[in-house]
Amino acid sequence: MNCKKIQEKFPDFLVGDIDQKSKEQIQAHIASCASCREELESLSAIWTKLGVLPEERPSNGLRNRFYTMLESYKQELEKERPVFSLKKLFTGWSTAWWPRRPVFQLSLALVLLVVGLASGYLLNSARGSSAELTQLQQEVRDMRQVVATALLEKPSPSERLRGVSWSSQVKHPDAGMLEKLMTTLNNDPNVNVRLSVVDALYLFYDNQIVKKGIIESLSSQTSPLVQVAIIDLITDMRERKAVESLKTLIQTEEFNPQVKQHAELSIQRISF
Amino acid sequence: MNTLKEGKIQVNPHPDREIMEEVKEGKVEKLAILFERHHVPLYNFFLRLTGSQNFSEDLVQDVFYRILKYRHTYQGQSKFTIWMYQIARNAHIDHLRKRKEELPLEEQWDEAAAREPSPYEEVEKGQDIALLNQALARLPLKKREILVLSRFQNMKYREIAELFGWQIGTVKASVHRAIKDLGKIYFELSGGAAS
Repeated sequence: MNCKKIQEKFPDFLVGDIDQKSKEQIQAHIASCASCREELESLSAIWTKLGVLPEERPSNGLRNRFYTMLESYKQELEKERPVFSLKKLFTGWSTAWWPRRPVFQLSLALVLLVVGLASGYLLNSARGSSAELTQLQQEVRDMRQVVATALLEKPSPSERLRGVSWSSQVKHPDAGMLEKLMTTLNNDPNVNVRLSVVDALYLFYDNQIVKKGIIESLSSQTSPLVQVAIIDLITDMRERKAVESLKTLIQTEEFNPQVKQHAELSIQRISF
Repeated sequence: MNTLKEGKIQVNPHPDREIMEEVKEGKVEKLAILFERHHVPLYNFFLRLTGSQNFSEDLVQDVFYRILKYRHTYQGQSKFTIWMYQIARNAHIDHLRKRKEELPLEEQWDEAAAREPSPYEEVEKGQDIALLNQALARLPLKKREILVLSRFQNMKYREIAELFGWQIGTVKASVHRAIKDLGKIYFELSGGAAS
C-alpha cells in the first residue's frame, strides 16, 4: 500500500475509530517508511498535547439568563393563545399588581424606591443629616428586602431567581429575609433556584442563621448538584464545625458516590 | 439516520431527538433538559473559537434562543447535536460579521491570541495552554472548527461531514491538514525554528 493510502487512515487512527486490519497495515507500513512514521508521530504528538486544554465552566449567570429567557418566551407564547378560564382570571387578578415585563417591574421597583426615599426624607427632615442618611439607607435596605421576599414567593422559577439576586444586593439582611432564603434553599422544587441561593449565601455567611442552617440543609438536599455546591461553600468558608456532618454524609448509604468523594476532598481541605 | 441506529448510540432513556420533538410541539419548557445536557460543551466550543468567555456565554444564549425561534424547522432525521452545531456555526458567523463592522480586518482573528492567560493557566500547565490557545487562534476558521469538533466535541467524521455538507474524505483530509498546521504554528510560537 502506498504512502498516500496509508496517510488517509491517520485521522481515523488519531480518534481511535479504526478497524484491526487498517491498524496492522499502518504498523507494517511505518516499520519500513520513515517519512510516514515521522508524520504519524508528529500528528499524534500535537493531538495528544491538545488534551491539556481544560474544559471550562461558564458562569452561573448563563444559566440564570437562559431560564429567564425561556420563561419570558413561554409567557409570550401563552399570550398569543389566550384561553379564558375562571382559574386564569383569578390568578391573573391576583398577580396583576406585579407587571410581567422586566422593564416595567424595574420601573415599579424604582418608583417604590423613590416613594420610600421621599417619605423617609419627609418624615425625618427635622433630624440631623447623618440620622437622615442612616434612615434613608434603612429604607433602601427594607425596600430591597421587601422586593426580594415577594419575588421568592412567586410561582415562576425565573421570578424566584430574580428574588435571589435582589436579596444578594441587601448589605445587612434581617433575620426574616435570611430565613426566607434558607427556606427556599431547603424547599424550593427548582434546582437552579436552590443553586443560586447557595451562591447568594457566600455573601451572608457571617450570619449565625446561615452558618447553622447551611450545615443542616446539606443532609436534607436531594440533588447532588446542590449538595456539591453546599460542600464547596462550607469548604471555602473553612467551616471546621462542618467536618462531623461531612463525615456522617460519607457514611450514609443513599448519597451519590461522587458527592461523597467531594466531601472527602473537602474534609482534607478544611482540615489543613 | 433511523431510530434503531440512534437508539444504539443513545444510552439515555430520553434521546435528545424525542425531547426536541416535544419542544417543537410547544412544550418549550423541555428545552431546559437540552440546555442542561449541552450548554457546557457548547460553551467550550465557542471558547475555542473566540477565546472570549463573555462572547461564548452570549453565543450559547443566542443558540438556545434560536433553537426556540426556529424549532419548527427541526426535522428529526439528523442527530439533534448536528442540528444544534449548525445553529451554533451560524450564530458564530453572525457574531463575526457584527464584529467585522466594529474591528479592522487584521484584528478579527487575533482576539483569542490576545486573551490574557488566567491565573490557573499561569501557575499550572501555564505556557502550554496559552501557546495552544494562541496557535488555535491562528488557524483559519474552518480548520479550527473541524479540529475543535473532532478533538473536543467528540463528533464523528461522518457527523462533521453531514454538518458541513462535505464528503467524509474531505473532512478527514481537512483534519489531517489542520493538525499539521497547528503543529507548525505551535512550534514557531514556542520558539522553534520556522519550518
